[in-house]
This record gives sequence, C-alpha cells and structure tokens, in this order.
Amino acid sequence: MSIAFKPEETFRGDYSYRNSDAAVLRFPFPFPEDRYMYSVNIEPHVRSGPSDVFLRPFDVDEHYIAECRDKAITLERDPGRCQVLPHMMMAQWDTLELLMENLSADYPEQFSLIKEGDDFGSRWTWINRPLGIEQSFIFGNAETLPCEPFEYITRQAQGDFAICDQRDDNLFMDAGMVTSQADWSLEFDVGMSFMEWHGPVPLAHQTGVFERALKYLLMLRLGQPVRRLNWTMSINPRLDTSPESYPEWGPDRASVTPENAGQKVHLRVELQTLWRLPRSNAILFPIRCYLASLEDLARVPKWGARLHRVLSSLPPQLVEYKGLTRYLPAALEWLAQHDDGRELPVGTEAGVSTLAPR
Amino acid sequence: MIGETLTLKVAAASAISPSLRHLRLVAADGGKLPPAAAGAHLQLVLKGATRTHRNAYSLISRPGARDAYEIIVRRVPSSRGGSAFIHEQIKVGDVLEAGWPGNLFAPVRTARRHLMIAGGIGITPFLSYLADFAFGGADYALHLCCREDEQHVFDPWLAGKSGVSVHWDADGRRLDIPALLAAQPVGTHLYVCGPAAMNDEVLELAAAAGWPASHVHCEHFGSALSGGEAFRAFLAKSGVEVSVGEDESLLEAIERIGVKAPCLCRGGACGVCVTPLLDGEADHRDHYLSAAERETGRLILPCVSRARSGRLVLDL
Amino acid sequence: MLHSDIKSRPTYTQLEPDLSGSQHLLIVEGDTVLPGRLDSLAGTFAPVEENLHTWLVGTQAGGLGLGKVWRLPEVADVVDAFACATRGYGIGDRLYVQGTEPFLWSVAKAAAIIGFSAEQIHLHHAGSLRRRVWCTHCHTVTENVTTSIASCAGCHRHLLVRDHFSRRLGAFMGVMVDAEAPGEVPAVEESFA
Ligand code: HEM
Ligand code: FES
Repeated sequence: MSIAFKPEETFRGDYSYRNSDAAVLRFPFPFPEDRYMYSVNIEPHVRSGPSDVFLRPFDVDEHYIAECRDKAITLERDPGRCQVLPHMMMAQWDTLELLMENLSADYPEQFSLIKEGDDFGSRWTWINRPLGIEQSFIFGNAETLPCEPFEYITRQAQGDFAICDQRDDNLFMDAGMVTSQADWSLEFDVGMSFMEWHGPVPLAHQTGVFERALKYLLMLRLGQPVRRLNWTMSINPRLDTSPESYPEWGPDRASVTPENAGQKVHLRVELQTLWRLPRSNAILFPIRCYLASLEDLARVPKWGARLHRVLSSLPPQLVEYKGLTRYLPAALEWLAQHDDGRELPVGTEAGVSTLAPR
Repeated sequence: MIGETLTLKVAAASAISPSLRHLRLVAADGGKLPPAAAGAHLQLVLKGATRTHRNAYSLISRPGARDAYEIIVRRVPSSRGGSAFIHEQIKVGDVLEAGWPGNLFAPVRTARRHLMIAGGIGITPFLSYLADFAFGGADYALHLCCREDEQHVFDPWLAGKSGVSVHWDADGRRLDIPALLAAQPVGTHLYVCGPAAMNDEVLELAAAAGWPASHVHCEHFGSALSGGEAFRAFLAKSGVEVSVGEDESLLEAIERIGVKAPCLCRGGACGVCVTPLLDGEADHRDHYLSAAERETGRLILPCVSRARSGRLVLDL
Repeated sequence: MLHSDIKSRPTYTQLEPDLSGSQHLLIVEGDTVLPGRLDSLAGTFAPVEENLHTWLVGTQAGGLGLGKVWRLPEVADVVDAFACATRGYGIGDRLYVQGTEPFLWSVAKAAAIIGFSAEQIHLHHAGSLRRRVWCTHCHTVTENVTTSIASCAGCHRHLLVRDHFSRRLGAFMGVMVDAEAPGEVPAVEESFA
C-alpha cells in the first residue's frame, strides 16, 4: 500500500496541515449519538470498525512524516517530553518489538525488520523508508541504538505513548513520549497511579468510570488489545497543545469568531489503544491523534449536524475541563448552519463516499 | 501480535522424576509463538474421554522465547484430571489447544530485591524469573524447599545460577523462615509458590514480621480464567433455551445460537451487555454492578457472569 | 482546602504507631510542634518506645519519651541521612512524619528512593498550608506559596495554583492564569496560609 505523504506540512507557525478528502472520510468521528458523556467506552481493538483507521493496529497515514518532524522539534525544545523511570527497560524493548513487528507486517513498502533471531542478543536491522533510516542493533542492548529503545521507536511513530507498570493492583505511568497531548504534563504526571493522573477529570470518578476501567485493564490479556476514542477541540491544527507551551497557544482560543470558526476550530480525536506487553507485563497506551477542521467535518452532512448537537448539549463541567469555554459559542454559531434538525442514524459512519465540495 | 488461541504440538516429553513430566511445546504450524513474561502461565485445553480440562501451568521457558514453551507437570496422585491426562495420554507429536499466555504472578519491577520461596514444583514460575533477573541485573535469592530425593531434579534450570539454596526436612537443612523474613532490607518483595499449607504459613509469618501487604505475593491460578460449571439459560424474548458449556461464557453461548446481544468490552467493565434477569441466581463476576444492584438479583452481565445454580431466565 | 475533588490530592492521617512494625522512625518538623505536642506524641508512641527513633528537625524542643532522639538542622539533612543510610532499614520498619506538605513529601520521597513503600510511611500534615508550586511552563519550583495565584520564581508568569498534586515533585501544578487573555489576572486570594 503506498501512502501519499505530505512531508512539507506544518503543525505550528503557518499551520499548513490539511486533510485530503480521503483523510476526512476515514476520520474516526467519535459521536454515535447526539449527546456525549464519559463512559467506559472500551472495546476489542480488532482490525475492523466504522473507520479505516481501525484496519491496522497502528495506523500510519499521509501525515506520518510531518508528524514525526513536529515531534522532533518539540523534543529539541523540551527533552522532558520523553520520560522513562529506570525499572522500565524491559517494557522499552517490548514497545520497540511491538511497533517494529506491526509496522513492518502492515506496511511492508514503508518499513522492514530483519531479524537474525528473536531473543535478546540477536542482531536486528530496522528500515524506515519514509524517514530514510536504516539501523542495525542488538535486541536487548540499548547501547547499540542512538538513544534508549522507547525513545528510538516512538520518535518514528505518530502519536503519543505511555507505558504503565502494573503492580499493587494498580497502574503507574512510569514512562511516556508525549508531544501531542491535550493539555496534560507528562513531567508532572510521570510515576502517578491511575486515579492520581486522572485526578483532574470531572464527573467520571463519581460515576465509577475510572474504577471499572482500571479493574478491566488489570486483567488485560496479551494478544487482545482494546481501544477507546477520546476527544477535545484545538484551535489551529496544532499537535503540541501541552501545558508546557500553553502560553504560546492559549491566546489562539481568543481569536475565534463565528466567521473563522470553520477553519480555525479543529476536532481532536484520540484513538487510544491498550496493549499488554509480553516480557514486562506492563501496559502500553498509544494515543494516536487525528485533527480535522469543522469545515472539513461538515462536508459529511451527518457529522456536521451531530457535532452541533453534541457540543450544544455538553455538560458544563466538560466544556470547562476541555477548555472550550471561550470559543464554544462561536463554534456553535458556525455549526448551526449545518444542522437542519432532522433525525440522524445512530453510529459514527460517515454514510457518504464522497465529500461535498469545500 | 493479536490472537486468543494457539495450536501447539508436543515436540518433546520426558520424565524428570517419577512424578514430574517435562513438555516442550512448539507452534503446530511451525511458526513463532507469542513471547511471554516471567511468571506467565499457559492454559492448556486437555480433551479427555469424558470431559475437557483447562489447566494452567507456569511457563519455565526463558521469558521472550518464541521457538518453544516449556512446562513441568506434577502428577497429582488422587486426581483423574488434567495432570493424569498429561502423564498418561500425551505423547510426542500430539496437538493441543491453548490460550495465549497469561500472567498473574509477574515480578515487581520496582523491587530493590526479590526473595522467592518455592515448595517443590512451586519453583516453576521462578525458573522464568531467574532468566529475567539475569537480564536486568536484579538482586535476588531463591529458596527451594523440597524432599531430599528431589533436590537435584531442577538442576538443569538452576545450573550456574547464583543465589539459589535448597532445603529439605533434615537437621541443618531446614529453612528458618522467620529468621529469613526478619532479615530482609526495605524494598524487598517476597514471592511464595508451593503447597497451600506452606503458602499460608509464609504469608502469616510475613504479616507477623511487619511486611507491607503490597510486598508479599502468592501464586494462585484461577481468578483470570473464565468458564466454570455448565448451566442452562432460557432467553425469554427469543423463546429459546441455550446450554452454556464449561469453557464458554453465557454471552458466547447466546451468540453461538444466533441471538443478538449487545456487548462492548466482553470483560465485565463497560456495562453495555447488562440484561434483566427474570429468574435464577447469578454468579456475578463483573466490575460493573453496584452491591445494591447485585443484591436485588435482577440484572446480569452475560459476558462474564454465570449461574450460581440451576437455570437462568434472561430478558433477551 | 485540605480535601478537594481532585483525586491526586493526598489525604493525611493522625500519627499512631503501627504495631505490626518492627522498628519505628518518627520525623518531626520543628516549626510545626505546638506546645504539648511532643508530650502527646510520646504518649501515643509509648507502646513502641523501645523500638522508636525520633528525628527532630530544626528545633531544640525536648523529646522525652520519644525513644532515641536525634536532632537534625533541616530537611536537607534528613534527605542526606536517607541517601547515605549506613544502617540499613528493614522491610518491617515504619516511618511517621509530621510537618508541612513540602516537608512531608521531601522526606517521603527520600525514603521511597531507598525502598520504603507507601504502606510503611504515615504522614501527618501540621503547621501552615503553604504550597510548593511547580510551574508547568518553565518547571521551576516556587516555595511557600500561600495565594491562589502566585508569581513563578523562574519565569515570573502569574500561575493559577491547581489542586492537582505530584508526589514525585511534592508539588502542586501551577498554570499561567492569563495565557488566553494576557493581563486579565483575577483577584488574588490568600488561600493556603
Ligand atoms: C491506562 C492508560 C491511560 C492513560 C496513561 C491515561 C491518561 C490520561 C491523562 C494523562 C488524562 C488527562 C488528565 C488531566 O487532565 O491531567 C486522561 C484523561 C481522561 N481519561 Fe485516561 N488514560 C488511560 C486510560 C483511560 C481509560 C481506560 C479510560 C476509560 C474510561 C480513560 C478515560 C479518560 C477520560 C474520560 C479522560 C478525560 C478526557 C477529556 O475529557 O478530554 N483513560 N487520561
Ligand atoms: S460487554 Fe462490557 S460489561 Fe459485558
């Protein structure tokens, strides 16, 4: 499968990021119904679903090269976005193996992995054609890579990654590569337990969402990954909406008007998957971020109307927590023109195979 | 690396003592097996003449091995179950179904030191620990308590490993457990695996010596395994009766006969499959229902829960 | 403000000896000792006095009945004492700490580094509510914050002091309060006196 990468696009400065029509149509729209509330929306991560992003366990799309470059810029400015506590070395190798095996199996034109053996101590050669990388190394020996194995492989993957160590019937966020997060700080959270790092989330603790999710995850099985979608909104197609750089992107929230909302306001959907890792028994939590402008989403009639309904009925605590307060009225005013009030079918499928013209 | 069941072939089988049999299992199709962690177990499906057993055995192969899984099975004298089957029926070349490896007994990665106490065959999970600790350079000690005539049985896996001592019931050879437990530095984690009486004794002594509960670990199989006794369920709306086998969930049985039932996580967490229970008593195994909801006995999550007795009537 | 909705916010307990412990170490921040407090601690810890060590930090106050008493000038000395512990601590040992929140977490972190688990450490919050605040933007720690909005000691931004707490840093999160509308700083309140 060949992918038409867009190596020049940017996620900062002139924000030249754009979705092709195909990318809009495969967007993992997260709202099956007209209302949204937190729930334990976890399901098996099988190779199918209402969007093509589910076809492969680790989705690579047209933004791959540009996203990896943006990640490198963020890391250059703030190396603290990658944190690994010392007891996580086994989990680092697990992550490297999982990603290299899946990417090379699912995208053979782009990635290859040549192994002289499967055990620690074997020589492996990794080829990443889109990024022009060829690296020979000894699996299990960090000194044979340019940096530690977790940083090495997650620099070459779209999205963020956290690794949770499991002990004491709890999960601890003991490693992470986090450069495209929805306003939370890895450097602050690293080492926290499941309930601690979820501390700021409103309403969900009280309804038992986190308690049930944690119990479920503690029993997560090797070979049976699960997934969920989470979402928020961003002004401009910006990956690095971290608290670290909030002084840079915060002012953009005040720049939204009913006229420019279609272009400026983006729905930000995170496809989060959870994987039991084989050697360390830790859980890998990849967070794959998809961005689409309101204007692009509204080219799918069902999505424009549904988004309008979800956003106008969102509980106020969620509006506040997700940081939408300042620009939600402008976004709603823009979306209203795409909602004629007709009944929408349940489900997230686009329901169209071509888009209305821009 | 996605999958649920494995088809394995017995590549080698040998008696390492009168009551212990060692099996080496490879992928039946000649491919690679999923890697597994220290402390992992394999659930084998053993199809006997009268019933199917699902027994879990610790993997003693090196963590991460993908060419073969190795297990050691002790013959339980009184049993007609899985262990007798493995000792009497299984031969090289046989094909077995198994689940992907699970792990309820992984070593704690933050430990400053690992103290392992094994009783006899209870050493099996620790054989994979040793290989793991060798990789990470961890500080550990392994104490094996066994019968005198068994002291060399595990030598092939212990050869060249430091930090291992063997104890049996003779003067000067007994393990002084209270003294051992009292002498451990802060940050030590204790793992015990052996006969139930020994496990209980060690757990009690550790508590008495002031060990924090989170630092004491005991291997127990079973809690992650689905299935249980077979039972029947009547689906009132559809008007059909279904028998739920030992190895399948109520939800799987419902799906097997073609009745559509909502579900999402299939693990008792999301609540999507919650179904009114019109009659019968449920064995609740989910994380979703509140204590009060369980109390009323009028709801069930078919993805994990079963019948406590007799027959269930569901509003499906 | 000792309790809040944010689940990362620790809760603290009264100090009582855990009788299942083998050796007991009590560490008290001197500034937080009110008259009569040491006597009352001595009463509480009487059942384990034989196996009790007490470190009094930054105070000359007495320590009668608190086992073997040591005096350390400041919290940094406690951290050092753990870091180069000549006497090894045992798995059955218990640690009890009384002090302000920054003191508690400096000690708890130093103990955790040498292997103490959370169950072995009992924390009692006493004295002022002042907070250590970690700036999410420049990562500087500002000590002794008593107000709902504080100026960062590193980048001088106005930080809103959130209840989100990191045990690793022993600090609350501070986030620029006027990032979206520069200059719009809400009224500052004295919240953590
Ligand atoms: C185990 C891996 C997971 C990690 C590392 C993780 C991490 C996080 C983090 C860092 C936040 C932001 C909290 C903040 O405001 O500082 C968050 C938010 C949240 N998480 Fe998780 N999470 C995990 C799993 C889950 C699961 C399984 C659920 C299922 C219910 C869940 C539900 C949520 C929700 C509802 C939010 C609020 C998101 C929003 O409204 O934007 N998380 N998570
Ligand atoms: S399917 Fe989620 S609880 Fe049953």
